[in-house]
Amino acid sequence: MAETVRSVMARNTWKENQVLRQILGICSALAVTNLMMNSLVMGLGLMFVTSLSSLTISLLRNLIPHRIRMIVMTLIIASYVILVDIFLKANLPEISKALGPYVGLIITNCIIMGRAEAFAQKNPPLLSMLDGFFAGIGYTLVLLIISFFREFLGFGTLFGYEIPFVSFEPWTIMVMPPAAFFIIGVLIWISSNLFAPKGKKKP
Amino acid sequence: MKDNPFYTIAFMLIVSAVFALMLSLTNEIYLPRIEANELLEDRRAVLYVFELDTEGEAEEVLDRFESHVEEQTIADIQLYVHLEGDEVLAYAVPFTGSGLWGTMNGYLGISPDITQVTGLIFTEHNETPGLGGRIDELDYLEQFRGIDIREETTLAYGSDGGDQLDAITGATGTSNAVLNILNDLLDETISELEVALNG
Repeated sequence: MAETVRSVMARNTWKENQVLRQILGICSALAVTNLMMNSLVMGLGLMFVTSLSSLTISLLRNLIPHRIRMIVMTLIIASYVILVDIFLKANLPEISKALGPYVGLIITNCIIMGRAEAFAQKNPPLLSMLDGFFAGIGYTLVLLIISFFREFLGFGTLFGYEIPFVSFEPWTIMVMPPAAFFIIGVLIWISSNLFAPKGKKKP
Repeated sequence: MKDNPFYTIAFMLIVSAVFALMLSLTNEIYLPRIEANELLEDRRAVLYVFELDTEGEAEEVLDRFESHVEEQTIADIQLYVHLEGDEVLAYAVPFTGSGLWGTMNGYLGISPDITQVTGLIFTEHNETPGLGGRIDELDYLEQFRGIDIREETTLAYGSDGGDQLDAITGATGTSNAVLNILNDLLDETISELEVALNG
């Protein structure tokens, strides 16, 4: 089945959302979602890296020897991540400091490798780039939804700004990683109900 | 042809070379800027410990640093001194130690007669953003202004420390790691400094 831009978009953002439907990239979804700003920057970084690594891998797809494809993919992904890291350090030192080790951890984000392995190595470059980009968008959206609840309930702020007229005792649990488990669980439940293929009932 | 081992090796070599070249070029271009950012960050940290203004453009900050602060070595301890004319107002002693997740670096401010802790800042740490990472917040750091260390030479949280310091809720590990580092520093480096200064 040939994919169009539209189907790539719908598939990656909602129908087969990487975090909620494929359960990939959970590690970072737990780690950086206590503040919306961190989630946003992490999402942007991932979008950039997934797009470019998918593009590069797709351009090289007929040249990469099959046996060492994973090594080549890791090399390409790591290079782009280091690029992002250098760029942040030089131009946005504040954000680079806030994200600390998480930028480096983009390398280990399963989504990037997943898109490279599942899509980029057998599809044309532009489509692969879009595929990576929209996978990144899907990831960012989920992270923002989770961090909205966590930051709102845990700190009483959004993007670091106090919310007027609302005051309550912040929930410390929301700041801790377990809270992300609960929220992700609920989101997975909702998305399964919406998008899971209706299979046969178990006998 | 793609299964030929020589092709595989050649391919890997070329790809590695291309990407390594790309990265080292970028690094080369941005390195001066990154180093300038890091230096500025460090200068701001020292100014903060000395309760000086840390705001402003890079040049202003560096000028302010030059005119108020001097780097000295006392008893083999490299530290920064806050000078007003010839009078010493405070010392900033650099420290390094293990936090909950990784190395923590920073400066501890000490009054010239070694009777008070006058300020604290971290320049580098790997604590969890939003939890242990909150040691960067002023609410936490400002507690370390003017703590008397003449009688009680160990810092402690809550009533044990005379209600001067509060730990961070949800980040007990990091909070304790900070005090361990600081108490070690007071025990060793700062005592040496005191001996060196008072003869």
